[in-house]
Amino acid sequence: MQRRSALKSMAVAVGGLMALPGWASGWNRTTVQSARFLSAPQDALLADVAETILPATDTPGAKALNVHQFIQKMITDCFEPTAQETLKKGLAAVEEKARATYGKSFAEGDATQRTTLLSGLNASEDPTLKSFYSTVKNLTIRGYMTSEYVMTNLTKFEFAPGRYHGCVPVTASSKTLTEKK
Amino acid sequence: MANFAIDAVKATTYDAIVIGSGISGGWAAKELTGKGLRTLVLERGRDVRHITDYPTTMMQPWEFEHRGQLPLEIRKANPIISKCYAFYEGSAQFFVKDAEHPYVQEKPFDWIRGYQVGGKSLMWARQTQRWSQFDFEGPARDGFAVDWPIRYEDLAPWYSYVEKFAGISGNKDGLPQLPDGEFLPPHEWNCVEKYFSQKMKDHYKGSRPIIMGRAAHITKPQPIHLQQGRAQCQHRTICERGCPFGGYFSSNSSTLPWAAKTGKLTLRPHSVVHSIIYDEKKGKATGVRVIDANTKEMMEFYARVIFVNAAALNTNLILLNSTSNRFPNGLGNDSGVLGKYVAFHNYRAGISGDYDGFLDMTTDGKRPNSPYIPRFRNVFKQETDFLRGYAAGFNAGRSSYSDQSGIGADLKTSLLNPKMGGWHVGSHMMGETIPKESNYVALDAGQKDPFGIPQLKISVAYDDNDDKMVKDYLEQMTEMFTVAGFKNIRTRDDKRNPGLDIHEMGGVRMGKDPKTSMLNKWNQLHAVKNVFVTDGASMTSTSTQNPSLTYMAFAARAVDYAVKEMNKKNL
Repeated sequence: MQRRSALKSMAVAVGGLMALPGWASGWNRTTVQSARFLSAPQDALLADVAETILPATDTPGAKALNVHQFIQKMITDCFEPTAQETLKKGLAAVEEKARATYGKSFAEGDATQRTTLLSGLNASEDPTLKSFYSTVKNLTIRGYMTSEYVMTNLTKFEFAPGRYHGCVPVTASSKTLTEKK
Repeated sequence: MANFAIDAVKATTYDAIVIGSGISGGWAAKELTGKGLRTLVLERGRDVRHITDYPTTMMQPWEFEHRGQLPLEIRKANPIISKCYAFYEGSAQFFVKDAEHPYVQEKPFDWIRGYQVGGKSLMWARQTQRWSQFDFEGPARDGFAVDWPIRYEDLAPWYSYVEKFAGISGNKDGLPQLPDGEFLPPHEWNCVEKYFSQKMKDHYKGSRPIIMGRAAHITKPQPIHLQQGRAQCQHRTICERGCPFGGYFSSNSSTLPWAAKTGKLTLRPHSVVHSIIYDEKKGKATGVRVIDANTKEMMEFYARVIFVNAAALNTNLILLNSTSNRFPNGLGNDSGVLGKYVAFHNYRAGISGDYDGFLDMTTDGKRPNSPYIPRFRNVFKQETDFLRGYAAGFNAGRSSYSDQSGIGADLKTSLLNPKMGGWHVGSHMMGETIPKESNYVALDAGQKDPFGIPQLKISVAYDDNDDKMVKDYLEQMTEMFTVAGFKNIRTRDDKRNPGLDIHEMGGVRMGKDPKTSMLNKWNQLHAVKNVFVTDGASMTSTSTQNPSLTYMAFAARAVDYAVKEMNKKNL
């Protein structure tokens, strides 16, 4: 985390850049902020689905990193409106299948039951359920891998490398993540 | 009250006015103020001050609400600008939104604009190749457009002049078709790029050189750069958010602050230029009509000399809208060619592939530049059934990947332990389009913009020559990739619209004969000697090289001439 602190202080040093000036207000958080469309129970269920896809192990899982909030944000702002319906239908189906199959809610299921159930959606013939699963899975991966925790602690992300070497031997530390624009 | 009126005129009178604050306007401002002229720079957009007005420049990936992706609403509302590769969550603040500044597409044209202090110099791709004798001799040799009134030798010292100040990295390659400049150290090659360059040298016996791109990045700061407050490029490769280090050249980090230090600069943002005022008695331009973007109030500013650097198509618009009894068809438009012979660069085609060598080697860090394939077709003599040729970008890279098929702890392990993939290679063409009378811009009197100014009507399209060039590029590059042993070669012609190349040029072309051109060899209107055009509008032909460096050299050269003429009382 030292590197991150150093970058933060550099940001402050070059002019307090974290605050957006007035002219950029058309593009800042408050104006792009959108309404959440999931109810609290639906949101909690989405968190459990994301956690099943990327669970806590010796490192935090999707839920601890609030990946479900990122998913909802992306579906609301960056997807066609139909994606919201797909998400809601998918969540309802997950809960229904959990009760039908295991006689309890998805949240109450163990890891094996949850995993089996989600894998079943992937194999489903129902295009809505398939789309639900692939969208949630992709966004879970994206939200997790681009989270501050993962980028600063688990992967080798560099903001300003200050260098380019074209031909270096492959080593264990060669696995870099390039920044998504 | 008479005194008041005189004072008012005095307060709005300068020695020089520059319309536009982008790459060429910034240079005009720096040179004019540097020579002691009180200079007013008019910019239609808002002010963007270096560092303080780059709101996203220090943001980490996770700090972007949508991790870089733009909301659907914004993309749907901006179908044109959304096609631009550089438009994303971190850079959206610098691009003109489609609805805000409408224009008429008589033929499909994706007009990419940046209306703010610094213009597109904030978001440009920073490639700065000089033009060569083959480019300036092109129209005369190959019989299109009109002969340039200058040759490479006229511009060479001015290329050197602007290169030293702007900071251009590159290698001295000794190529007549791409002259060397005053270079800072070049960026580094990677294994596969170096291999490709060597392989092509061997196979084509030196007739298809592949070099490191020359780019406006400070790879090793010189005293002149440090004096500007600029520092070494940090290789962040997020340039289009604005660079707090001044690592690449922009008006905001370089020419405009330098001009401000002279105390002679007045920068007026929110100033939409309506037209240039022509005084028939004096036989010259006396000033500029401006609409304040905030108040919509029309006002006038006066000066002895006017530089028009509004970016190619808007420079055309302003001149077309500057009508008088003497010039009913636009300022200086005795020839009738104003707005015509617009040309651009053809970026339609690309090619990619894989390479399975060098698997024990990789890259380290990031590079804001890539190798460059100078034009090799029809350079020394005509050899194909199309005129002129294309340059191309080339790059190789290696990335990691992970198996994403699983779920649960296995998926997590896979994601956090990516494997090295193989090398990928890619190239895109930059074709020279031929200026034609039928590729034109004009005013659409029926459609006004939000300031009451006629909208620009754009009628620009590809032709057979461009189609043949696309075909040839794909054939030649496929051959070159095959010779290099690249696999899985994939070609594409994305049929994109003109404009998306962001290299629009012409309409106010230079030439020897006032009957067939607008500007003389000093970028001076033949018919209105105190008006100079030194942006892309002045280009007689387009070459294959990126044009920005040439605009900078033209601007510096034209100011030098203008001030000498002013001192001789000729202006």
